Amino acid sequence: MAEVILKNLSKRWGDFVGVDNQSLDIHDKEFLVLLGPSGCGKTTTMRMIAGLEEPTSGEIWIGERQVNDDLPKDRDVAMVFQNYGLYPHMTIFDNIAYPLKVRGTPKAEIRPRVERAAAQVELTQFLDRKPKALSGGQRQRVALARAIVRTPKVFLMDEPLSNLDAKLRVTMRAELKHLSRELKVTTVYVTHDQIEAMTLADRVAVMKHGIIQQLGTPDEIYNDPANLFVAGFIGSPAMNLVRGRIEGGQFLTEDGVKLSPIASEDRSEVVLGVRADDINVHEAGEGDIDAPIYAFENTGEASFLTVEWGDQRVIARGDRHLRKDQDDVVGLSLNPDHLYLFDPNTEKRIRL
Amino acid sequence: MRDNTLKYVLVLPAVLVVFATAIWPLMESARLSATVGRLNRPGSLDQYIGLENYTWAFFEEPSFWNSVWVTGVYTLLTVGLTTLLALGLALLLAPGGRLRSGVQTLLILPFAMSPALIGVSFRFMFNPEFGLFDAFFGVVMPPLADVSWLADPTLAFAVCVMADVWGWIPFLTLVLIGGLASIPQDTIEAAQVDGASGWRVFRDITLPQLGPVLAVVIILKSIFSLKTFDQIFMLTNGGPGTATQTLSHYIYFNGMKYGQIGYAASVAWLMVIPMILLTYLYAKYVFRKN
Repeated sequence: MAEVILKNLSKRWGDFVGVDNQSLDIHDKEFLVLLGPSGCGKTTTMRMIAGLEEPTSGEIWIGERQVNDDLPKDRDVAMVFQNYGLYPHMTIFDNIAYPLKVRGTPKAEIRPRVERAAAQVELTQFLDRKPKALSGGQRQRVALARAIVRTPKVFLMDEPLSNLDAKLRVTMRAELKHLSRELKVTTVYVTHDQIEAMTLADRVAVMKHGIIQQLGTPDEIYNDPANLFVAGFIGSPAMNLVRGRIEGGQFLTEDGVKLSPIASEDRSEVVLGVRADDINVHEAGEGDIDAPIYAFENTGEASFLTVEWGDQRVIARGDRHLRKDQDDVVGLSLNPDHLYLFDPNTEKRIRL
Repeated sequence: MRDNTLKYVLVLPAVLVVFATAIWPLMESARLSATVGRLNRPGSLDQYIGLENYTWAFFEEPSFWNSVWVTGVYTLLTVGLTTLLALGLALLLAPGGRLRSGVQTLLILPFAMSPALIGVSFRFMFNPEFGLFDAFFGVVMPPLADVSWLADPTLAFAVCVMADVWGWIPFLTLVLIGGLASIPQDTIEAAQVDGASGWRVFRDITLPQLGPVLAVVIILKSIFSLKTFDQIFMLTNGGPGTATQTLSHYIYFNGMKYGQIGYAASVAWLMVIPMILLTYLYAKYVFRKN
């Protein structure tokens, strides 16, 4: 059990900057998710913590110890790889037992510990098989069991669910969450899937271009995005971002459609952010603004209306019983408590 | 013509070529091995004596056993040394290894040389009067300068082994680099994080996964070592005495130089036994089902 501290950590390959002078305190027993699109430096950050990548500059602390010069084997971390990294020539039992064996655990202790770990991930009946005889989900569990068979200071998980099919991913996500709450070990989890980040994390660090854009709880990241990137990355569907201006306490879209009153001074260039959930759908004439439907989508649990405000399209979420057709006109009103303004040039949030 | 017939017609030329160049000579040599088979004695090529040539080799010819011994030691040493050195180089040159790049290209050079040429160049290099080694030791270690490398049985044998190892390392290294590259990198990284030292990663993770490729390399090299001829022929011509006379060289000498073609054929057939065994193993590894 330990906290992980990154101080001014950078990784460069020639001119390419993987991670750019980032500092991060990961608390003891915390589940921290590094979230971002591919190439944002999240995996590099994790690999530097594991010792598989050497930082160009900066410090890495695990617990009381600076580990920059320690080999991976001496850092006391356990890692789950995206492609599982199972040893194909060993049985499942030997795979899970390997971290114990190389660390010189007494033989008599190994079997019960492997069996306990296997039971935790419901793998007991497969211990004699080789990895290639297992399905993707089962292999994922083996990788997990190999990580939890000892109690390392830190768990590192590199997109562990991304190779599973959509349905299995949801199941495994819940299992992972359950397991992590039971184990209470500091965990760093890398993903590009914002749902995984929202559901699993105590805190999320959203990364882009090697820089942490925002660090906060899932609620903070969702409800209080620090900039345009975070606003557009978190949430499904993504937050609507509408370009326009503010005149006399009114937001007008670029082509002058009057949208919503807003408590802000006049601005000539601004981006309004509003989530699909915060656009209420009414019959035509009953909202603040009428708009034609570009596409109507019914997912069963909700209906999504893509409507046109001038040249820009936005998505509103309607009741699941709502039925409309393309080109129908609906009335819309924006929830004034959940509107966000961003500066399109700096991409920073404008606090109201 | 029906497709069914056509396919046989299309294959026929190839079958005929194989028959004429491989199957027929093989059968003919089997026949010859059962005859008196003296090139200088007319009619002896049809004079059948059963297995007498074989029993002669086994019980009456110490020079046969000398060649078996030379070939055996030569094969063990060259296979062992080449494989070990090639594995070491492959580990250094593989993706993620410590060397790489231009060195790799440079390394392939010895393989571009024909074995006979390697034999000749080594003979010159070890020449006691104007050889490279003579000049080198003359400066560095004068007592070794005047050693007649190829005149001493043990040293000559060592030079043969050295030349062969030198010539074969590049090819085996390349094959092993390919083998190493096909090992998933994350299994190696997983082992590092799991707590394995460099040596244990190699022993527990890299080597077992390299196993099949390594087996193919060892078997292939064994076959090539067993049948070594040209290099020995150019380098020492089997000498001094018969100190470096491998079986192929022995067969050539008896058949071509002494004209005992029947006897030579029978020894050649004795060599077929280990060859078939190795070929079987090779096929087993190469075509094994996953």
